Amino acid sequence: MERRTKFEGSELPLTALRNGETGIVTSIKAGRGECWGFKRRLMDMGLTPGAEVVVVKSAPFLGPLEVTVRGSRLALGRGMAERILVVRKKGCLREN
Amino acid sequence: MSKRKLTIALAGNANVGKSVIFNHLTGLHQHIGNWPGKTVERAEGTLHFKGYTIDIIDLPGIYSLSTYSLEELVSRKYIVVERPDIVINVVDASVLERNLFFTLQLIELETPLIIALNQMDIAKKKGIEIETEKLEKLLSIPVLSTVAIKGVGISKLLEKAIEIVEKEEKPNPVEIKYGEEVESRIAKLTRMVEEIQFWYPPRYVAIKLLEGDEEISREVQRIAPKIISTAKELATEIEELHSHSCSTVITSERYEIAGCIAREAQKLVPPIKPPIEEKLHNLTTHKTLGYPIMVVLLLLVFYSIFAFGGYTSELLNDFFYNFESFFKGLFGTGVAGELVWGGIIEGIIAGITIALPYITPFYLILGILEDSGYLSRIAFLMDNIMHKIGLHGKAFIPMMLGYGCNVPGILGCRIIETEREKLLAAFVTTLVPCAARTVIILGLVGHYIGIQYALILYVIDLLIIFFLGRLAFKTLPGEPTALIIEMHDYKVPHLKTALKQTWFRVADFIKIALPLIVLGSLAIKLAEVLNLLEPIATVLSPITVMWLGLPAITGITLIFGVLRKELMLIMLATLLGTTNFALVLTPVEMIVFTLVAMFYIPCMATIAVLVNEFGWKKALFITAFEIVFAITIGGVVLRVLTLAV
Repeated sequence: MERRTKFEGSELPLTALRNGETGIVTSIKAGRGECWGFKRRLMDMGLTPGAEVVVVKSAPFLGPLEVTVRGSRLALGRGMAERILVVRKKGCLREN
Repeated sequence: MSKRKLTIALAGNANVGKSVIFNHLTGLHQHIGNWPGKTVERAEGTLHFKGYTIDIIDLPGIYSLSTYSLEELVSRKYIVVERPDIVINVVDASVLERNLFFTLQLIELETPLIIALNQMDIAKKKGIEIETEKLEKLLSIPVLSTVAIKGVGISKLLEKAIEIVEKEEKPNPVEIKYGEEVESRIAKLTRMVEEIQFWYPPRYVAIKLLEGDEEISREVQRIAPKIISTAKELATEIEELHSHSCSTVITSERYEIAGCIAREAQKLVPPIKPPIEEKLHNLTTHKTLGYPIMVVLLLLVFYSIFAFGGYTSELLNDFFYNFESFFKGLFGTGVAGELVWGGIIEGIIAGITIALPYITPFYLILGILEDSGYLSRIAFLMDNIMHKIGLHGKAFIPMMLGYGCNVPGILGCRIIETEREKLLAAFVTTLVPCAARTVIILGLVGHYIGIQYALILYVIDLLIIFFLGRLAFKTLPGEPTALIIEMHDYKVPHLKTALKQTWFRVADFIKIALPLIVLGSLAIKLAEVLNLLEPIATVLSPITVMWLGLPAITGITLIFGVLRKELMLIMLATLLGTTNFALVLTPVEMIVFTLVAMFYIPCMATIAVLVNEFGWKKALFITAFEIVFAITIGGVVLRVLTLAV
């Protein structure tokens, strides 16, 4: 399907990105009931599939992540950030 | 001239300058309370403008109307049920896309709308310029630019609002079109909804049903269950087409539209360098430097609240006690006089000397910290540690404030989103030794046994907070917590708004807590006048004497402690007939007494705010739990210590 092939590379949790890297959101892992409200909240804050997220840094001792999305800066608890799946956005200079 | 009435609601994201606009509009004619039955703050005010009496409602700062939080639910209900004449949507120009995401939802609610485009200066610093006319054209909604901090553009907003209301035109904003797959299904569902009587606009209902909105689904289910089953089928179809849940698809597409409008209306220019806000952010969230900066800042806050509170409290106390002889002269020293002075007046004095000196600076500083953006950075730094007791970073703030006084600590729990976490944080806050309990810890254990033992008690307190916090976290039903907070750019807080908010919140507190404090004070005085204290002490003696190993008269101090914890030490001295406690109490007794005093019950004022925030049932449960807990731990410690000594 078109929507699937749009993203290159494999899905990984947002927490796997290094500081300064950009990811494109593919989905948020949360079933009905379980973390459902937080999924809604994340999407309301702009973390919808297709949105670009930059991981700025993370607080020490596996603390929350600082990310920027759609022009705003958010702090996301690590547990939540692990549920956000992204694909790594490649730089302009594509190397293989 | 007949007075015409008008109602305007202010809506928008958090930190967009909404409350600054609210304060410009209403000045001192405002009232801050709660939404009926909710712990969500409701700010209301009135003003007179061009022959109109205008009621302004400041809705809570929210990011969506998806009813994820109470604030969102309250806001949506208000707009739909109470139908304000116009909604002014305050939009942060520096984060246009996300703000427009909210605007689009207001448009879907089909409410008359004006946009106040605010914080253009911040946007410019970030290199974003917005063409107001273009945005107005794209949305087909009046867009007015404002500089809330300076009061620029505020009266234009009012003029526009009146103009629109007088024209009585139906709002005709841009049509929000989703993708074909979604749009066709919305249309189908809309036609079905049009046939039933429902107070939300049909298209809005259709969209929300596809998104699986719980509140609307529940209400439609009662009227027309057929619509719900169709909505479910249609949602599944969309899900299969897009391989995402239907609400995800709709939210994404709505964001795409918002993004599209934002990109059209804004022009990117080179940012003004160097942005000091950015440097400040990096410094205050730095992985090593961030913590010492936080500690120093918090100590400073802590110290200033304490210093101001302690000084003013004493001053007020002295001031009020000047009237003692006057009142006693008036009412005599008989039973009536005792009750009037010792019951009512001293109750009022207690309320005022606790409330004003500590709560006022607290509100002010909290307001300033929140407004400037630092609070979200603290949450970022502390999230990890707070998670250990099932709370997230934001809960650190009320807990810390609890060290000054539990009352503002509990009020501070409002910054937490869900009801469950609010309660959890409030419970933990009541276990934090406030200034009054510090007086007992330092004055008894610290002074007579040694400062290191006082410190040990603080450590024990932290351990107990950790343990009970975890326990409550495990037993309370509900979702686990996660931090999602915006760290908006640092900005200079608007002092006038902060001051006004402080004033109205303090007034609100006095209204709630004072009657309860006076009542409690009167009850205790009555017991004293009726010579019931000694019998009560005797009744309590199985607990105080046999289980806790304390002198029987401590039972009386425990009763007085409910009113004001620091009174316990004073009472103890009076009842024991000496201020040299080493003569009458053994070190073990002192430790047991102090431990019990630390935990045994929230004081009257604290119970009052607990009732106000969470209702009688939860407040009484916390109170009862802490009484049992403190007595248990006191007895256990006594036995452990006697074995060890």
